[in-house]
Amino acid sequence: MQWAIASASFLASAVEFVEAFTIVLVVGITINWRSSLLGAFAAAATLAVIIATLGVALVKWVPINDFRLVVGIILILFGLKWLKKAILRYSGLKALHDEEAIFEETMAEIRARGETIAPRFQPFGVALAYKSVLLEGLEVAFIVITFGSSLTGTSGNGIASAAIGATLAGILVIIAGAIIRAPLTKVPENTLKFIVGIMLTSFGTFWAAEGFGFEWPLSDAFILIIIVIYLLASYGLVTWLKWNKQRNQAMAITDNAPISAVEQEEARP
Amino acid sequence: MKAIKAIYNFIVGDMIILIGVIGALIILALINTVSTLAPLHVATGYVLIAVVIGVLTATLYREVKGKR
Repeated sequence: MQWAIASASFLASAVEFVEAFTIVLVVGITINWRSSLLGAFAAAATLAVIIATLGVALVKWVPINDFRLVVGIILILFGLKWLKKAILRYSGLKALHDEEAIFEETMAEIRARGETIAPRFQPFGVALAYKSVLLEGLEVAFIVITFGSSLTGTSGNGIASAAIGATLAGILVIIAGAIIRAPLTKVPENTLKFIVGIMLTSFGTFWAAEGFGFEWPLSDAFILIIIVIYLLASYGLVTWLKWNKQRNQAMAITDNAPISAVEQEEARP
Repeated sequence: MKAIKAIYNFIVGDMIILIGVIGALIILALINTVSTLAPLHVATGYVLIAVVIGVLTATLYREVKGKR
């Protein structure tokens, strides 16, 4: 069992499961649970096929160093995308990701379409749940395969560890959702996304460099140093963005301030 | 075209990040293949870390400029 892989996969997958579960919840409440669950299970089955086929193919035929390079680059791309959004939210330049707002927005859209709560299968409900679960689930599949396969060459159980982490995250989100029975606003999603962004970028950097044959000092322990470097850089960027925002606001206030009588007198020819 | 756009949005969705990371890949490939740049091979990891931070800063800077 690779604990680092399992925990990274757990955190990354939890974010996706929270998003997917919110949509499934909306469809279940506003249309019906049959349509919602059918869409969700169909998407889960599709995902299982993708993981089973791609996972085996990737591990069997791709040289591990080349694969590490590809995985590393993709993880960096994924990680930077998440990190950018999280930093923008922390600095106040982007609204915080609000699951409750998404819930209300989706409910309003469904009502606007004239859909009502009905016991029969509703194609729109099935499609909505399927699409959401498949999209978010693809990201989970991606995380499981990339995180897992990168270590498979050396340890043999990378995918299993990543899959365990993702499965645990899915089970926990479903249990948590069933208990609270409301949009998962209690989960601090931005914090989770920030941590995941840091982890994806750090692992991506580590593996991409290894893919080029680079040997990190302290071996795997250097991942912790990369994490610290990216955390410090992110902290610096959040501080800079906050300072920049305050400066812009101050400038806007100064520009809109009324001209005093003295200044008006001085301005006259 | 739609499929390519969907994949792009799914994986990255930001041109600066994509170009920056591809640029890093090219730089690292050059360091590791061109013999005159061979002494830089020991710095591969650190170059990558610097480029990643640079790319993140650049994409955030563009967001700030856009908000003005």
